[in-house]
This record gives sequence, structure tokens and C-alpha cells, in this order.
Amino acid sequence: MADVKLENIVKQYEDVTAVDDMNLDIKHGEFVTFVGPSGCGKSTTMETIAGLTKPTSGTVMIGERDVTDLPPKDRGISMVFQNIALFPHMDVYDNISFGLRLRKYDKSEIDRRVEKAAEVVQLNGMMERMPDEMSGGQRQRVAIARAIVRNPDVFLMDEPLANLDAKLRVHMRTELQRLHKELDTTIIYVTHDQAEAMTMSDRIAVINAGQLQQIDPPLVCYNEPANLFVAGFIGSPSMNFVEGEVAGSGFTSDDVKVSFNPSDYNLGRGKDVTLGVRPEDVYLANNSREAADPTVPLTATTDVLEPMGNEIFAYLTFDEDATSSMTDAQLPGQLLISVDPDTEIEEDQEIEVVLDRSKIHLFDTAGGKALTHEITDTGATSTAGADAEVGTDD
Amino acid sequence: MATETDTQQIGTNKEDEPELDRGPFEAWAARSIKNPKRAYKAMFYTAMIFFLVTTLFPFYWLLMVALTPDGSLQNIVLAPATFDPTLLLAGDLTMGTNPGAFVEIFERLPFHRYMFNSFVIATVTTVIVLVVSSLAGYVFGRLRFKGKSPLMLLVLVVSFFPPAAFFLPLNQLFNRNFAVLQPVMSDGSLYNTPYAMIIPFSALFLPLSIFILTTFYAQIPDGLEDAARIEGTTRLGALFRVIIPLSAPGVATAGVLTFIAVYNEYFFSSLMTDPGAENWAPIVEGILGYQGQYQELYNLMAAASIVGVLPVAILVVVAQEKIVSGLTAGALKE
Repeated sequence: MADVKLENIVKQYEDVTAVDDMNLDIKHGEFVTFVGPSGCGKSTTMETIAGLTKPTSGTVMIGERDVTDLPPKDRGISMVFQNIALFPHMDVYDNISFGLRLRKYDKSEIDRRVEKAAEVVQLNGMMERMPDEMSGGQRQRVAIARAIVRNPDVFLMDEPLANLDAKLRVHMRTELQRLHKELDTTIIYVTHDQAEAMTMSDRIAVINAGQLQQIDPPLVCYNEPANLFVAGFIGSPSMNFVEGEVAGSGFTSDDVKVSFNPSDYNLGRGKDVTLGVRPEDVYLANNSREAADPTVPLTATTDVLEPMGNEIFAYLTFDEDATSSMTDAQLPGQLLISVDPDTEIEEDQEIEVVLDRSKIHLFDTAGGKALTHEITDTGATSTAGADAEVGTDD
Repeated sequence: MATETDTQQIGTNKEDEPELDRGPFEAWAARSIKNPKRAYKAMFYTAMIFFLVTTLFPFYWLLMVALTPDGSLQNIVLAPATFDPTLLLAGDLTMGTNPGAFVEIFERLPFHRYMFNSFVIATVTTVIVLVVSSLAGYVFGRLRFKGKSPLMLLVLVVSFFPPAAFFLPLNQLFNRNFAVLQPVMSDGSLYNTPYAMIIPFSALFLPLSIFILTTFYAQIPDGLEDAARIEGTTRLGALFRVIIPLSAPGVATAGVLTFIAVYNEYFFSSLMTDPGAENWAPIVEGILGYQGQYQELYNLMAAASIVGVLPVAILVVVAQEKIVSGLTAGALKE
């Protein structure tokens, strides 16, 4: 059993707090991914678990042991690095067996284990190659073999696929998942690539500015983000945000109005809230049957179209004067939607769209905290006049 | 690139001056203009021959002096005056020279003992310097701490002083009797012991080695050290198993420089010891030993110099291999 527990970890460099009061509880056999923008503290957190960095305060537990003051070699961990970090002066065999030789294993035992590890990562017959004679993918496999050969309790991976080309990355992604199934060890994985995080993890830990924002299974992070940061970070392209406030009849902003009964969500009148909706939860009005619970159509103008093949991303503007060529969906008065590739849609075309109410998120604008992840009731005014429910200012 | 310019040059030359009667030198000059590479090659060979002659001729001269029988030293032209290849037919393998000088040096004085003294002092000093400067190089090159630059500067300041500045205090120190040393040294003083040389030499040559190794160790990617520590080494283990092997050229350079400097050292050694091989006098002391009150045996001094150079020559050849292999095997990829 090798649970990993971080308790109140703080890491402070001279004037920067890299990790701020981090608490994590990772169960044995779990695949947990740390994601976050660069400089958010995810690598520092991992180095703290590895023992390469000593926390300013807090406790690191691996298994039942307090390892906060133990050197990396005594923690029962192994690690794969972003820059692969094979020893350039050793061949593949020596690289893989390095840790075993340091621990004075029998020659026959070392041979047996190295052979098995090489088999797992499909490296047989390459034992005499030097690292500089191998391709990036092969080197990465050697690094993984070096990490698994010692049967560690915890497996740490710091952006191991970041330096590989796109195709190889997808391939190695599946290999790692297969490996996780075979090894049944705890894997902690750092990445800034959310596709990796979404596809491989049991749970995703979203970190920003040294603080844990949310740790949940991938789809929970996607569907029920804990706050504005998680909502904007998870998902590509990211969620649309519309800032507004709570009025008597629901959410209201310059461009978008969604009616509901604020008291059902414990929202006071006049409270500043941000509405969030993912591009795929916005539908063209003539397709509104696809939405589980559509709002009343909004009129908008298409600006830039990005055909992706399997879908088209369309940037919509509510204000015709607004020029917004940059792909920033969060400009005020702009909405990014994803439509079916067969849809006939042109730039600068006036169209009507609806939002799927069951997929609308509301956040507290000031604190960023999520208030609700769906709006179920149609509000008090819905029976009185549905046409007033949603509309644009224009 | 070169061929392009060549053909252009040839083209213009054909048009401009089709028939010109030239002497051999002019023709060579013209060819060089057409093909500048020839001129560069010629310059390269000229320069190389010049350097070879200036560096190797003294050795040749030394060998000739050594081979000349005592008494005919005034008559060396390019070979000893007594040199006569025809003597080979008469069965004289030496052809009138005196290779016996290479044996005589060991008969007149225990020259091997002087060599041994210098070799031991140089080896021990080099080992001490490499170990200490490796640790210091690791600290200066790979750790971040307050006051690093001033400390590094302070270390380098030691090497700014002429060694003579340290002589008087050190000589007084080493001539003093220390009760602590009584069980080890007969009189409790370090004078006439190898320690009197190893200690100051280590201190004097440390700054240079620290400087060299700091720059080398600083270039090893952090990831490699982290990987070694995760795999099971301590910081020190990572230094010896990963960082030093990858910095082999730097370590070899620092080691060779230290060894040669100490091996050839005379100033301190002669003052810290009484002449005489049994007093740990160094090799230069031995060479000067052939210089008597009434007689100066230049041929023996030359022979001794040649023999004395051999260990250094061997070391440099071996180390050079290490340097080259270290360079080619390096190929560090971050």
C-alpha cells in the first residue's frame, strides 16, 4: 500500500510562494494528474513528493511513513523527467540497472529485472545502445524502464511526453495507460496538456498559483468545475464567460439574459455573477431540439469561423462594432460556439443561437466559486412571457 | 562554395590574361589566387613547421647534449662532433656517441629517488586538489546560496599572490616542532618531509582547479543529478557517479595542469628541503646535483632532464586520450 498524502505543504522561495498550503490524499493504485498553467507550482509539488525539494513547512506521507526529511532514494519512488535525463555516459543496460546496482542486487537478479522491464516497454535487443544513438521515443522508453525496474511504490512523471512529437505522444499515452494497468502502482503525473490529463487520469488535480483548485475525476472537473479557473482551464477551447448580475428574473448582462428564480440558488439580487457555457452547449436556434432545455434564441453575428473537420468553431459577436479577430472567447460581447461541420454557416452572417440551460454554470464573479452547474427551473417569469426570457440588448 | 568561386576565378582569368609567360613562383602565386585554399594550406604548413621546430628543437638539442661524451660539449653542430656513422661497420653501435650518460645519471646520484619524490608529491597533490576542488566545484557550480560570488572571488584571490609571498610564514611554520607530530615525525617538524610541499602546493593550485571544475560541473543538466538521486545516490554519489564522469575532460585538464606544475616545481621544494634525495628533494634538485663545485656535467643534466620528462609525457598522452574520448562521448542532450 502506498498512499501519498500531502499535509499543509508550503514551499516558499525568497519572495515567491510556489506551493501554498497544499493538501492532497492520493490512494494506492490511483493515476492522479497535476495540471495547471506553467509556473503554477505543479512541478514543485511533485519535486516535494520526490524529495528533490524540501518544503518550507508541511508533511509528506508515502505509505504510512513520514518522508518529509528522507532523501529521494529512501522514499520508494521513481521518476520520469521531462528532459528524459538518461545518463549519457552509460548504455541502455547500465541506465536501466543503475538503481539496482546502487542497491547491490545480485547480478542474476539485475539481469532478470532489466530484461523484464525492457520487455514491458518493448526495448529488447537494444541493451548496448548509447542514449545518443536512440530516437526520442526510444529514450523515453528507456527512462520509463529505468523507473519501473525497481518496483517503486509511487511512480512520478514530470511532463514525460512534452518533448515528443504529436503522433508519438498519443502512442506513448496509451502505452502509459497500459503500463498503469499492468503495474498497479500509484502514478502521479504532471502535465500542462489537458488532453493527457483527461484521457489518462483517475483524478485530475487542477493547480493554480500554488493552490489546489479542485481534485476530481476528469469528467467531474469538466462538467462541474469548482470555480472560474477550473472552468476556464479544463476544456479546449475554453468555456465562454459572460459577466452579469442577478436580477429579479434571473441572470442579466448586456448581451445575455437567462431567467430563473434566484432564490432557488440562494442568490441575492444585484450579486455579480459570471455565466459560463461551453462552446458545444450552444446550439443554432433551428437545431434547438438538440439542446435538452434550450433558452430563447439570442441573435448574434458570426465573426471568424474555424473549420476543424469534425466541427466548426464560430466566434459570434453581439455588438456589430466589436472587432475580435483574436481567438479569445472571453472578450465581452463575444461567444464561441461549436457547430456541426455540415452546417451551412458563413462569416458575418446573422444567426440565432440558444444555450442549453442544463449545462449553464454560474460563478461568483468576485470569488470565482461555482454557484450552480445547471439551471433547472425556468423561473417565475417563464409562464408569463417566454419571449422575455432570453434576449440580446441589440 | 569554394568550387563556385574557383570556377568564377578561372573564368575571369581566362578572359583577362590568357597568355602570360610566368616563372615557377609566379605560376604558383597565380594558382594560389585562383584557388585560395592552396595558399591557406601553404600558410598552415609553414606555421606548423615553425612551431614544431621551435618547440621540438630544444628537445633534439637536449638529446644531442646528452649523447655527447663529456669533454666535447663545445663541438655540437647538429650532432655531437664525435658522431660517426661509419663506426657502425666497425661494430660500434653507439657510433661515437655516449648513451652511457643515461645510465651514469643513476650511478652518480640516486636520480630515480628524486624522480620518485617529485612523482609522489605531484600525485598526492593532484589527488588532494581534484577531490577538494570537485567538492568545491560542485558547491560553486550547482548550488545556489548567498555570498557565492564573494566566496569564489576570495578563493581566486589566493592565486593572485606570487607563491614567494607565502614562503616565509610557511617556512617558519614547517621548521617549528609540534608535539602533536612527534609520534609521526622524528623531530615533530614538517621540514624535509613531503608534507611540507604537498600542503602548500595543494593550497596554491586549488583555485585554478576549482575554477575549471566549477565551469564544467555547472553545465551538467540538473535533470541528470535529480535522476541519479531518485535512482538511489546521495548528492555526493551523484557527483562521483554522474557529474564527474560527464566532466572527464575538465577533470583531466585540471589534473594534468596540477600534476605538471607540481612535478616541475623547484622554488618551494628546494627551500622546504635540504638537498639530497632522502630529504624528499624534488627532481630539479637532482638535475642540479650534477653541477659540482669544479665540474658541470651538462651531458648528465641533459640526460636527467629527458628521463625526468618521461612520466609527464606519458601522463599527457594518456590524459589526452581521456580528454578526446570524454569530448566525443559527451553529447549531452537536455
